[in-house]
Amino acid sequence: MRAALAILRKDLRIEWRTKESLSSLIVLGVLLLVALAVAYDPTPETAPTLAPAVLWATFVFTGLLGIQRGFLVERENDCLAGLLGAPIDPASIFAGKLAANLVLLSAMQAIVVPLVGLFLHVDLAASFGGLLVVLLLGNLGFAALATLFAAIAVRTRAREVLLPVLLLPLLVPVLIGAVKATEHVIAGGLAGARDALGVLGAFDVIFTVAGWLLFTYVVRD
Amino acid sequence: MRRLEPLLAPAVFVAMVAALWFIFMVVPTERQMGIVQRIFYFHVASAWLAYAGFFTVAGASAVYLWKGSAAADRAALAGAEIGVLFCTFVVVTGPIWARPIWGVWWTWDPRLTMTLILWAIYAGYLMLRAFGGDDEAVARYAAVLGIVGVLDIPVIRVSVRLLHGIHPNVLNQPQGSGLSDPTMRLALLVASVAMLLLGGWLAMVRMRQERLSSELAALRRLAEERA
Amino acid sequence: MDNFPYLFAAYTAIWVGLFLYVRRLARRSRELEEEIQDLRRQLGRP
Repeated sequence: MRAALAILRKDLRIEWRTKESLSSLIVLGVLLLVALAVAYDPTPETAPTLAPAVLWATFVFTGLLGIQRGFLVERENDCLAGLLGAPIDPASIFAGKLAANLVLLSAMQAIVVPLVGLFLHVDLAASFGGLLVVLLLGNLGFAALATLFAAIAVRTRAREVLLPVLLLPLLVPVLIGAVKATEHVIAGGLAGARDALGVLGAFDVIFTVAGWLLFTYVVRD
Repeated sequence: MRRLEPLLAPAVFVAMVAALWFIFMVVPTERQMGIVQRIFYFHVASAWLAYAGFFTVAGASAVYLWKGSAAADRAALAGAEIGVLFCTFVVVTGPIWARPIWGVWWTWDPRLTMTLILWAIYAGYLMLRAFGGDDEAVARYAAVLGIVGVLDIPVIRVSVRLLHGIHPNVLNQPQGSGLSDPTMRLALLVASVAMLLLGGWLAMVRMRQERLSSELAALRRLAEERA
Repeated sequence: MDNFPYLFAAYTAIWVGLFLYVRRLARRSRELEEEIQDLRRQLGRP
């Protein structure tokens, strides 16, 4: 646990120094949001119905890029070899990286979510509490698998294209659950979102544990 | 197992001919759907084979991670190839069947969506093995993916039920249920056995090929050392 | 009885898939054979 926190702090400190990943994530997120909004060209009446899908499509694609970058940077500087040399068990590395990725995702969402509300004429502040729950559950499932597979993709040849190819089909339950839950939360509140949140919760549990257990097989170089 | 092996090829042949005979000569024409319904037997049988393949990948991958057995790795690879092959059959014959019956090539109905996602997951597995590089570690990464894929199956199944069909009346009954005539059930059974034997045969050939390939690679390394 | 084209298409699709896979297996076998020849030659003159 302490090792995981140390890794979390290290990653956040490195990121805070350059803010490179964070800024590119935010810019990319906004750009993708704009592209989607313009492509759909909704009227002010229909725009709110797009919001859940646009939100999560943006998060998934930008999230993929952001998490991949994180591992790429480490790989380039051979940090992982150093980490593994230390007496830290790989599962803690996974936990630390997962936590760091969660922080990164949340930071990006803090900017993109209000913008979606603005661009698509949705009052997201009204459903803030419910939205927060959906974001937390969705982010965890997404980050768990993304962290595991980014570690894999970065060690292979076709790394840029391989991560989305491997991850996107696996993440479909998160996408569906998060979008449906967001729809319900915006429309009426958490009650209607119960089934969707259940899916997200199950996904989170299964793949956080799976990632925790399987990460050692990925980094066992 | 090895003693039964020479029987496998003839068994595949006989089973396949028997299946075709059942499908085209024994089974009556379905009242609602007409002759197109005869696609159903290989369609469903392929789906079962695809799942068999994917579960093989997961099991073999687990064994590989746990014990490092190269044979398990080869079984995982063969399982994935066979699984994706038969899943392709499902995803191709499905729309061919759907078009005359439902009037559309595709709907985002839970079962179709799930099959498509599963196809994508294990096609990704094959891509990882093909393009991931020659590092021996790729087998380990693929094993992780193989296990994660199967773990995802129940979650995908539940999540796609959250989707709503655009035209709920397009599907008046789930694919494949409503086998009125008992010979239809028998035909499905025979078709499934035929597909199972076929898949098993192809897998066995593929695994043997992989084993030869790695033995050759080892011999080559030996030869180069001597040189 | 006019849906024969669909029935034909479905069974042909399965045949095409199987054929392509078997052809792939055959190609791999040939490659393995060539490698054996190669090794033979290499070991022929140690």
